[in-house]
Amino acid sequence: MKVIRRTILDKAFTAITALPVVLLVAALLVILTPMLWRGAGAVLFEGTVEWRKMQLAEFGHGDEAGIRAEADQAQAARAAVYEMIDKFKSGVDAEQLTDRAKEIYRGFGKELQRKDMPREQYTMLRSLSREIRDKLETAFSSSDIGQIRELTNDVLQYETDDRFKGTIAREFFQLAREYRKAAATVNLNKRSEYARDLAELEQIIREMFGPRPTEESPALAQFRYGATRWDQAQDLLFRLLWKEEWVEKQPGQPLVKIAASRKEQFAETELKGMFDLVENNLGRMLNPKWTFYWRYFTDDSTPGHYFGGIGPEILGTLILTILSMAFVVPLGLISAAYLTERTHEGPVIRIIRMCINTLAGVPSIVFGLFGMAFFVLFFLPLFGAPSKPCILAGSLTLAVLTLPVMIRSSEEAIRTVPQTYKEASLALGASKFRTFVTVTLPVALPGILTGVILSLSRVAGETAPILFTAGIAVGPVPKSLLQTTRTLSYGSWDMAVADKLAALVPHNQYGMVVTLVLLILCLNALAIVIRSRVLKRLKGH
Amino acid sequence: MLSSTGRALKDSDGKPGSIQGSKEERVSGSIMATRSTEKHHSSVIKAEHFSFYYGSKMGVKDITMEIYARTVTAIIGPSGCGKSTFLRSINRINDLIPNTRVEGRMLVNGQDVYDKRVHLVNLRQQVGMVFQKPNPFPKSVFDNTAYGPRLQGINRRGDLQRIVEESLRAAALWDEVKDDLKKSALALSGGQQQRLCIARALATKPNVLLMDEPCSALDPIATGKIEDLIDALRNDYTIVIVTHNMQQAARVSERTAFFCLGELIEYDSTVKIFRNPGKKQTEDYVTGRFG
Amino acid sequence: MNGHRSEQIGAPATGFQQPLVLTYGQDVKGYLFKHVGRLALLALTCTSVMAVLLIFLFVILEAFPFLGKFSIVEFLTSTAWYPQAHQKPEFGALALVAGSVYVTAASLFFSAPIGVLAAIFLSDIVSFEVRNVVKPVIEVLAAIPSVAYGFFAVLVLAPWLQKHLGFATGTNALNAALLLSIMALPTIISVAEDSISATGRELREASYALGATRVETMFKVVIPAAHSGIIAGVVLGMMRAIGETMVVWMASGNASQIPHPWWDLSQSVRTMTATIAGDMGETAKGSDHYRALFAIGLLLLVMTFLLNIMSEYFLTRAKKSLGRS
Repeated sequence: MKVIRRTILDKAFTAITALPVVLLVAALLVILTPMLWRGAGAVLFEGTVEWRKMQLAEFGHGDEAGIRAEADQAQAARAAVYEMIDKFKSGVDAEQLTDRAKEIYRGFGKELQRKDMPREQYTMLRSLSREIRDKLETAFSSSDIGQIRELTNDVLQYETDDRFKGTIAREFFQLAREYRKAAATVNLNKRSEYARDLAELEQIIREMFGPRPTEESPALAQFRYGATRWDQAQDLLFRLLWKEEWVEKQPGQPLVKIAASRKEQFAETELKGMFDLVENNLGRMLNPKWTFYWRYFTDDSTPGHYFGGIGPEILGTLILTILSMAFVVPLGLISAAYLTERTHEGPVIRIIRMCINTLAGVPSIVFGLFGMAFFVLFFLPLFGAPSKPCILAGSLTLAVLTLPVMIRSSEEAIRTVPQTYKEASLALGASKFRTFVTVTLPVALPGILTGVILSLSRVAGETAPILFTAGIAVGPVPKSLLQTTRTLSYGSWDMAVADKLAALVPHNQYGMVVTLVLLILCLNALAIVIRSRVLKRLKGH
Repeated sequence: MLSSTGRALKDSDGKPGSIQGSKEERVSGSIMATRSTEKHHSSVIKAEHFSFYYGSKMGVKDITMEIYARTVTAIIGPSGCGKSTFLRSINRINDLIPNTRVEGRMLVNGQDVYDKRVHLVNLRQQVGMVFQKPNPFPKSVFDNTAYGPRLQGINRRGDLQRIVEESLRAAALWDEVKDDLKKSALALSGGQQQRLCIARALATKPNVLLMDEPCSALDPIATGKIEDLIDALRNDYTIVIVTHNMQQAARVSERTAFFCLGELIEYDSTVKIFRNPGKKQTEDYVTGRFG
Repeated sequence: MNGHRSEQIGAPATGFQQPLVLTYGQDVKGYLFKHVGRLALLALTCTSVMAVLLIFLFVILEAFPFLGKFSIVEFLTSTAWYPQAHQKPEFGALALVAGSVYVTAASLFFSAPIGVLAAIFLSDIVSFEVRNVVKPVIEVLAAIPSVAYGFFAVLVLAPWLQKHLGFATGTNALNAALLLSIMALPTIISVAEDSISATGRELREASYALGATRVETMFKVVIPAAHSGIIAGVVLGMMRAIGETMVVWMASGNASQIPHPWWDLSQSVRTMTATIAGDMGETAKGSDHYRALFAIGLLLLVMTFLLNIMSEYFLTRAKKSLGRS
């Protein structure tokens, strides 16, 4: 029996050890899959005509004439929607109508002042127009259709009056006539509810199609265009068709969220046709096309990365990494060469090794502190440079951070070079230096390259050391090494946590971090390929 | 005279000496036209109470021997007897090993190589070495052979080509590789690699050639070729060969030194060592009762 | 001996053409070249030493005025971290230290057993081929930048935790600990696996020959033999976790408090690294707050330095014990 128990225990143990590895693979998939999936949306998506308009206006990409024509076509398709809304609005929105009436009244007053006319006549006309205005206002806020008819008729009888002919006051009559017509079609009791929902609908339509062509272009880029992506448009369409409502289904029970059809809500109004119109013709209104936005990797962005790409971030990351590599590769290589060529392990070597290990263990945020205290506040001013965070300080900090990685990997690579090569070269009368340069280095090169690539990938992903030394979230593309830069890592942090606007554009949020991760994974894959080739070659002889 | 006894020994052992002779003519005829056939009996390498320590462990102790010019000298002995250590001390390639110490003198051409002021580069250039395992650089055949000359500052393509060809001919490799000198040396067979290493050593125009068990990693056919080569080079170079293969020592050398446990037991003409050794230990070893 | 030398290049040399002794000029030049060169190389190699010294020096220099002005005891024992208070700013770092320790310990609680089991799996159970598939997965986990993990923590894991486990906030100690454990795992696995496989086949064969099963062999023979290396791996994982910034900053919720009750991982904490990262942007250079952050950095530096020494100790011991067996 005991043997059986032991066997079972053994089998169970074997199974349990496999579990962590399964977990690890699962973790990798759970982390990478949503990122890749959503990040891909930054580059590959169905772009609408609004997207192409945005690209043309903000970044100057695309065929201008073609996009104009497309936009006009889309506008033509949308015109019916706008018309319906305006018509409905004129019967519903008391506030806006009242404002309009006041505006006309004021305009008429000014017109009268400009005309040179006797005092009494002026006063008379003024009071008359005030009377018209007041009547209209009463009519606008009334929910009794009889009263409305009466009041509007009162107003309209002045239409034939010569004194109002050719003046701005004729708009009073137009307004009255429209209102009378609209009021007949609207359930006046629901007017306030309609007004509220209409504002919502208008907002949705604005988000979908952008500001109307007659309106002034908004100052903020994110409000200048409608739905640039078809999936956004689909979401908006859903919101347009269905109203989210909390209802009490059974008394005493908690409220339940339901989606109520707006089509039914507006069934008896002028607006009833609009929902079907938008639903059936959304394609023509937005003209979605599959788009491969490769310029994502080169374009600059509007604030908050609402539109555009991550070009400056990629550029900044490349500059920072390459510059820090330029510092660390020679240093690391020389250190590794010295450490391997010194055959005698004296106290000096031991101290150096201890320091390399210590350096490898320093937390990255402390590198950030060090970079700020040393490079930014002390080192740069020594050379007359401004004591401000900049690319140079950042890359120096990163170089110090990655020095141990570089030394260790180069040392390992140099140590794998067979001793016989060195002996052969020395036996032919080569000096140690010559042997290192002509024999050891070429043979160790792939291994060293692997180390360089791994350091590169480490540097590209680091965020904490550049927080106070080089990185910014928003700002211009740097023109010199003494300026700050945006980077992929800093940008990823900013978009995930700090930038509230970015939360509205998850594809850009994920696009940034996916670019960073893919960049690093590609570098690592490259390193793995080189390393396996080296291993094969070393096994070959 | 030594040469002739060496050959006599070989012939009497029933080795196909005639074939070797003809091959030697073919291989080395072109570049050895001017060589003189007399032997010089002056010593090129001379160890005087030479001891070599690895840390506290002793490698060889108190060796005193002379190695003569244009002679093939074999060093035999059981493994761990210090024969490689001795050989590697001659061109100071043992310097690469940490914590070593030397006593006594090692004279090459009358100069103590362990003197502080010795010109290591010149020494190693003129005392070439072939290692146990073929160790061509991972470069082309041409670059391997031209490595030494390039170190000496010969950079003209024509000169290099001539030296490479002549070295490869001298190492009896030319006919096999002449069509693809650009090929990686690592693509050659083991025997070819070892001959390439010899050619590489010859290209620096050394005076002495040290061979540290050059055939231990090779098959019998490749070994035969290397031995033929040593035979062809014997009149132009002072060759010191370490081997654990007594037949090989008997086949190729004129003089033989027997090392045991770091000490030089006996050093005499090859014929004498193998036919009529002066010491019991030597006799036991060569007759196979020991080691 | 000094016979004629043929003019033909490639002809064998007949004597020692080149002098074996250096001329005095060559000697002096060679001596200088060798020693100056070596010194130059040594100087460059000492950059690492310089870097370590400068890091300590500058962090201490910036933190020093703070340590002089405020009580170190209060700094280490008070939980009141109100650096921006107008009347009387308080710099009690205990909650921050506790936050770091808390998150690190929680992450090791997950990652140490998982890591050791995975190391056993890789070294003793699976074939070479499976290993070659699993190893790159671990390398990829190690390569993913911490900001990407933090991104995942904030945007994916936090909402999930909040929705499915009913936590008040998704950015909490559990979130940070989970991600830290994923980040510490590659280190733990690789170091532990090295030391487990370095124990050698003989040890296992001896145990199997006595009729032990695999689990018995592992727990009674192999792991005791490899324990130093395993501890070193866990310590290195701990260093990775305690020094990590981006993930904890993004995922831990950044509330300066000691969770109560202590086992409640669903509460937000704030770590030392996150405090430095989060506060530094808002401080004026040279202010008390700024120096307090450097003091935290110094504390962090000292902690990781001690851990480093510890891991070195265990690694050396592992090497030695294997050398003896």
